[in-house]
Amino acid sequence: MTIAHEFDYVRPATLDAALACLATDGSRVLAGGTDVVPWLRDDLIEPELLVDIKAIADLAQISVTDGRLILGALVTFSDLIESDVVRDAAPVLVEMAHQVASVGIRNRGTIVGNLCAAVPSLDAGPVLMVYDATVEVARTDGVRSVPLVEWFVGPKETQLAAGEMVTGVTLYLPAVEHAAVFLKLARYSGEDLAQANLAILLTAEHECRLAFGAVAPVPFRAADIEAVLSGNALTDAAIADARTLVAESISPISDVRASAEYRTHMCAVMVERGLRAVASRLAGDGPAYPTHLI
Amino acid sequence: MRTVTRHQIRTIVNGEPTSVEVEANDVLLDMLRTALGVKSPKIGCERGDCGSCTVLLDGRTVRSCLVLAVEADAHEITTVEGIEHDGLTAVQEMMIEQSSFQCGFCAPGIVLAAAELIERAPRPTADEVREAIAGNLCRCTGYESIVDAVLAATGSGTSATTSATSSGASS
Amino acid sequence: MTGRHYVGNREPRIDGRDKVSGAAHFVDDLEFGPDLLHAAVVESPHAHARIVAIDTAAAAAMPGVIAVVTGADFPFTFGLYMKDRYVFAQDRVRFVGEQVAAVVARDPAKAKRAAAAIKVTYDKLPAVLDVERAMADDADLIHPDLGEYPHVPWFFPRGGTNVAHWRKIRKGDPEAGFAEADVVLEDTYTVPRYAHCAIEPHVVVAKQDHAGRLTVWAASQSPYIQRDLFADALSPLGLTHHDIRVITPYVGGGFGGKAGVTMEIIGAALATAVKGHPVKLRWTREQEFYNTYQRQGVVARLKVGAKADGTITALEHVLQWDAGAYVEYGANVVNAAGLSATGPYRIPNVGIDSVCVYTNLPPGGPYRGFGYSEFHFGLESHMTRLAQQLGIDPVEFRRINAIAEGDTLPYGAAMNASGLREAIDRTAAAIDWGTDEESFDPRTRIGKGFALFWKAPAMPPNASSAAFLKFNEDGSINITVSGMEIGQGYLTVMAQIAAEVLGVPPSKIRVETPDTDRNPYEWQTVASHITWSCGNAVLAAAGEARDRIFEVVRRARGYDPSTLYLEDEKVKCTDVPELQLPLSDLVTSGLAMEDGTWRGGPIVGSGTYMPEFTSALSNPETGQGGHPNVHYTTGAAGIVLEVDLETGRMKVRKVALAVDAGTAINPTMVEGQITGGVLQGLATVLYEDMRFDDEGRLCNPNFTDYKIPTSLDTPDVVIPIIIEVPQPDGPFGARGVGEHTMIPAAPMVANAVADATGLRVTSMPITAEKVALAKLEAST
Repeated sequence: MTIAHEFDYVRPATLDAALACLATDGSRVLAGGTDVVPWLRDDLIEPELLVDIKAIADLAQISVTDGRLILGALVTFSDLIESDVVRDAAPVLVEMAHQVASVGIRNRGTIVGNLCAAVPSLDAGPVLMVYDATVEVARTDGVRSVPLVEWFVGPKETQLAAGEMVTGVTLYLPAVEHAAVFLKLARYSGEDLAQANLAILLTAEHECRLAFGAVAPVPFRAADIEAVLSGNALTDAAIADARTLVAESISPISDVRASAEYRTHMCAVMVERGLRAVASRLAGDGPAYPTHLI
Repeated sequence: MRTVTRHQIRTIVNGEPTSVEVEANDVLLDMLRTALGVKSPKIGCERGDCGSCTVLLDGRTVRSCLVLAVEADAHEITTVEGIEHDGLTAVQEMMIEQSSFQCGFCAPGIVLAAAELIERAPRPTADEVREAIAGNLCRCTGYESIVDAVLAATGSGTSATTSATSSGASS
Repeated sequence: MTGRHYVGNREPRIDGRDKVSGAAHFVDDLEFGPDLLHAAVVESPHAHARIVAIDTAAAAAMPGVIAVVTGADFPFTFGLYMKDRYVFAQDRVRFVGEQVAAVVARDPAKAKRAAAAIKVTYDKLPAVLDVERAMADDADLIHPDLGEYPHVPWFFPRGGTNVAHWRKIRKGDPEAGFAEADVVLEDTYTVPRYAHCAIEPHVVVAKQDHAGRLTVWAASQSPYIQRDLFADALSPLGLTHHDIRVITPYVGGGFGGKAGVTMEIIGAALATAVKGHPVKLRWTREQEFYNTYQRQGVVARLKVGAKADGTITALEHVLQWDAGAYVEYGANVVNAAGLSATGPYRIPNVGIDSVCVYTNLPPGGPYRGFGYSEFHFGLESHMTRLAQQLGIDPVEFRRINAIAEGDTLPYGAAMNASGLREAIDRTAAAIDWGTDEESFDPRTRIGKGFALFWKAPAMPPNASSAAFLKFNEDGSINITVSGMEIGQGYLTVMAQIAAEVLGVPPSKIRVETPDTDRNPYEWQTVASHITWSCGNAVLAAAGEARDRIFEVVRRARGYDPSTLYLEDEKVKCTDVPELQLPLSDLVTSGLAMEDGTWRGGPIVGSGTYMPEFTSALSNPETGQGGHPNVHYTTGAAGIVLEVDLETGRMKVRKVALAVDAGTAINPTMVEGQITGGVLQGLATVLYEDMRFDDEGRLCNPNFTDYKIPTSLDTPDVVIPIIIEVPQPDGPFGARGVGEHTMIPAAPMVANAVADATGLRVTSMPITAEKVALAKLEAST
């Protein structure tokens, strides 16, 4: 396997050292490598310097503090699956992680890397969005926190500026009882990119949060659909209303993975099946986490 | 264009401390096969899609075509040759006895994926075995003979496949 | 089987330990030392274009570049059944990805960079991307010189058109047959191209040493045919078979894609440009998709008539094949399908037109099923529909019309013995045909589908096999053959055949992978024929060795050979139970006489097999008169499929497949072919979806977007059923099964989808998307 482009590599031991490296032009972060290495092989990126952050231990944290679930930049999809903290605090993350790629990719690929690559079909996007997540960004002269709903600018484009690095992502766990669900439409049961994906979070106080992925240039919260679903207990009528709003809420394309028509049809189906599943989870008799619902 | 800096990396490969000079743009799969002569991880797709390049990095399966050689510095790499400490493992022996593989190109990666699973789940279910090897593409077998061997070797029974064969002749 | 010790046993594969331990070496694993050079290829970005100029100056000047070559350096044609193909494109390119030039350099990165520095100027020509356009009267000609291409005598190319071959069958009087029918059903079925996706990509290493000898290490199903085509293509350089050696170790899957010659010719040619150095060319996965053989697409028009009692009276089948830019191999796919496109049915009045059409797409070629996988989709869908229109159960309809021994085949010869009826009955029972299944999930329906299949090996009439056998001092055996172990278990089965004859267990028998210098001839490992053909050669070789052993024992000890037999690695005698002579005592040393002299010497055996009853000659207008196929393997398959009516997602609950192996020399190997073939077949109908853009470029040349099944995509239950109606001229009664097991998958899924949803889908693939959208349209 040949990477024709030539570059240099460092593996700093501290965040400050990493940020100092990233301050130079042409440098970029290397974490799991499951996106960066194929991009190098295909000549899609031509960095001067790769900054391997995997030696920075603090970045691997998974912790819950004051209702915030913090996932460091080095947390992999396998880490989510194996974490008792995650399973207790936000089991839908485990449900999502099981549907990402395969074990050998999950052992390396990071959630933060997924957010930074920002392909429209990323699986982490919708799930983190229904937790009102924020992206924690650091640079040599400070930090900033970017709401995930503002993070994605376009396909493969984020708010990350030169010299910046994402140190982690914060999920805000609802104080009240809640349940969530993640659905991923793919061409079969094996490893695949989403043709469409969907996350729904429902609280005991009738707040409904719903985020789509792969059916627009970026993942997004569907405000109109949330409006008809929030405020009252979920009814068949509300679910039917939500279905009718799907077509105008999304803007899918037709590509080698699916037609816009199929994506649109399936998003409505996923909304219905997702809502019924999350409602039954909230009621205590829904499908156990993790389940492949579609 | 920058000059590539050579890196002298120290790694443990199949239990042996190994020092290799690599360039930053060398890929781990190539380092293993070309610099170290470890041929069991295969080149199948170079995109991380097929799993035939799978190795264990600190005991976890990774796609070595997606790992730069320099990333292996201060880490441990194990390939199928490296899990055969005192002869082949019980799973490997069962795979031989049951003729689990056909062309064998996917075998090293699958053996490692199964080994990783069994380390954490000594008596896996059929579903767990299938998920563990789901990142290893096999075009020949249809997978059931592989799943059956893992289950048989770990004392977990058999998969859902049944078979009915006939040796009677009639027309 | 009664009295058999090894044949019929589930012997563990003799190459199992090699493969599970990581010891098995494939071509890319072989070491060639620091002198190994690496090649990179320059490819056409256009589907059809004239080559105006190639500027290699910059590339040739780059450090580490040893040679740069173009078509001008190798203006040679080659081809297995027709010589229409080039080492490098000459005056024009005919598909996106076709090789135009190549670089040989010290390392892969230098080769890749230098290849990128070669500038090719093209003059685009109209690209002919579908069969309809290619067959139009005003179509641009993809091969203007078609009329002059040498080809095998059973091809009928039409010079001055894009039709490379037209196979016709005319039997009886179809018009009368349709007039006689009570129901006539006509429809068109569309099957796209497919990729083999062997996990090992194509790879070749070639070296022409300073004595002029050319050695090629190739991941190939066909070492002898490779040598033959190299000798033919490179003969202008003075090379003959004598100068060329082809070596093939284990091969990581073939499925037909590694048959014949594709990219290996580039390696062989490049070696002559860098004498003394080995040069390696390994295909990337992308090149594997667009510049190796693809399974051809076909548009099939079927018209079948039957009487109210279910008897089929007439069939017309017109198959137009999208065969790609070069058809040197693919035209025989068209031919093979044309000879058998009735399916395994007794039909008195038949009209078949199987047309091989050039297009500006990758070359079509052999793929498991060799045209039969392609045409059974339409045929078996159609038979179920016809039965339903007649009000007859689709399985009963097949029983009524199933071909039987002695029936007349489409081309006039007689059908061989087969267990087709038993296959139908046992498959139907295995899926509980006739009982509807209720789904527990209100959103899904369960449907059942059924399909028959048949296939004969498609080979030249003189395809042959040979085997050498020798004993070692410890009584173990080495057999050298040139069939390829591509995963099917061939080495093990050859060992079992020899074991049965010589009384030596398979664990003490090595079967060596091919080396054309040392192993004797094998035509190719294709056509599901080497268990039968090479098995017969091994049988003969083992028999010869046995006869020699008995002769030595007669001359040295006076026993009558007709009383001797071999068992447990010893020579024994029916009349004298005390004789228990270990083979190791005599197989290399001979037997000592009392006077101190010896009798015998090393025991060796040789055997060959070539059928002498098969001929490809026939009437070009009717296809009658020849005996082009040695025999057919038949079978049946059934599926229980659960379909989600909203999402279109399909789950295979159960598949049963019965195939008549004649004799299953190793039932585990046969079951492996069933389980693996079923999944590969299901993949073509459920998941694999090759997409070309309107410039002829393949959009999804990778596993990310061309989906082959994972362990999560398997049927819940697979029921392999082995039928055994012996093949009289097969070793211990065996015939081949390797391709057959994927043939029925597509039509049985189509039939099950129709059963579950009422939707009849007449094009492949049948994806969840297609089903969901069809259901939506049907309900509006």
